[in-house]
Amino acid sequence: MNPQFVVDGLVAGAMIGLGAIGVTLTYSILRFANFAHGEFITAGAYAALALSGLLGLVVGSAPVGDFSFGWNVLLAVPLAILVTGGLAILLDAILFGVLRAKASAVIILVIASFGASMALRSLLEFVFTSQPAYFTNELQIAIRSSWGLRATPDQMLMLGATLVLILAVHLLMTKTQVGRRMRAVSENPALARLSGIDVRSVVRTAWFLGGGLAAAAGIMAGLLVQIRPYMGFDLLLPLFAAAILGGIGSVPGAVLGGIVVGLCEALAVQTVGAEWRAAVAFLILTLVLLLRPQGLLGRARS
Amino acid sequence: MSVTQRPVTAAAPPILEVRGLVSGYEESLPIVRGIDLDVSPGEIVAVLGPNGAGKSTFVKAVAGVVPTFGGRVSLRGRDVTARPAHLRVTDGLAFVPQTENIFASLTILENLRLCAGILPAALRQPRIDAAFAMFPDLGSRPNLVAGALSGGQRQMLATARALIVDPAVLILDEPSAGLSPKLVHDVFETLERVRETGVAILLVEQNVRAALSVADRGVVLAEGRLRHAAPAVEMRADPNLGALFLGSYDHAEATP
Repeated sequence: MNPQFVVDGLVAGAMIGLGAIGVTLTYSILRFANFAHGEFITAGAYAALALSGLLGLVVGSAPVGDFSFGWNVLLAVPLAILVTGGLAILLDAILFGVLRAKASAVIILVIASFGASMALRSLLEFVFTSQPAYFTNELQIAIRSSWGLRATPDQMLMLGATLVLILAVHLLMTKTQVGRRMRAVSENPALARLSGIDVRSVVRTAWFLGGGLAAAAGIMAGLLVQIRPYMGFDLLLPLFAAAILGGIGSVPGAVLGGIVVGLCEALAVQTVGAEWRAAVAFLILTLVLLLRPQGLLGRARS
Repeated sequence: MSVTQRPVTAAAPPILEVRGLVSGYEESLPIVRGIDLDVSPGEIVAVLGPNGAGKSTFVKAVAGVVPTFGGRVSLRGRDVTARPAHLRVTDGLAFVPQTENIFASLTILENLRLCAGILPAALRQPRIDAAFAMFPDLGSRPNLVAGALSGGQRQMLATARALIVDPAVLILDEPSAGLSPKLVHDVFETLERVRETGVAILLVEQNVRAALSVADRGVVLAEGRLRHAAPAVEMRADPNLGALFLGSYDHAEATP
């Protein structure tokens, strides 16, 4: 067997894991599955595309070092993360927050998220057209390691950046007051209020974090493949498979789940054929729900 | 015996004043139907009454977790009726719910740090140190996940959690529920120590005897109204009280 699937799977899995963190945060704090999360990924990629176009006028778009993209893309990344985090907060303020205030049932929130997903996707398609877009037209030569594994400089940068982001989120959740508040609200919002915590502000933080990480995942997907209006929606099943496999509510679990899903997909492409890739996430999701519904790192809920 | 309220003189001016409080989950169906109550610093007031009398809803409304439809709650002379629950904590009102009163997935230290978050940074560690001094059992293993604690230790942590912000008023909803007689004793002994620091304590209890043994005053609720108020000494000595006002008196005696 060609071990190349490990590199491809890790890169895809890191991207899925970043996206799945948002899914797991929203689910554990607001108790609903947000199907519009895929569109945060798409919106993040398009925001970075638009911003890098603007920045390109100022700083130029010549490739940096061995990478395929220029400073304009690198500078657009933090801005796109902020914009997408803001979009997530806005969507909560005008849609989900309103429904929560009316004490709507979970199913209403879920269906509303489907509606938001379609609306956002159509809006992005309207603005950016359905033609695939690219951050750069540069070709990249993969570097071959001593074990015969190939990876492009872009892919290696993605893995490194994901590692840094995941570590930062982990430290935020475990070591800071912001993280303690999110964990407290996720466990017991009523007691969180009685502990002096403004639950609404914690909810906004969770949306911002989820949206921002989705943007990071979207930019990676855009750099590695292409930017399309359906790119996030097509990732939705792998995202949920990763979040549920890792254990809903667990940030390290979401990352681990993402890497497992990414590796399995890459392995399936190599062994049974690329047309089966999409079935892998579905298969994993089904097996987890049947065999270990609390996921790898999740706690069983009473 | 008359059921009209006896004037009970408090030692110091009240820090918590409740006037005509109407509360419940639906406005058309109030559970608390007009309650007046004052609590002074260093005073323990026991809220008693049969099941369904509205005791728990009353204290939850004071804490701001159940909506108020009428009346007023004042803390240190300031009207807090419109303040959401999380800001009432900042105002100096701490509430310990009957169940799920700790964050089981957080460690002991994280539970305390979380609640100390609303204090100025310089005060946080001293308050945590003070809590650990008061509850050495908790201080000896700060990194234990709170979900692993026993019932009595949970109640200690829940109380420590509430006290960390140095509240003026501490409200406890049935702190003795589900605890052994020894632990009930420990819990009430803790409340005695807390009272000595000048905190006003409002205590909902089914365990009437234990509650009246530490309380200065008792108030009896029935059907959402205040039916009787008297010094705890008098209530303890009153042979008719159980039969007259406390539907669960005998029951509470049998199963402490």
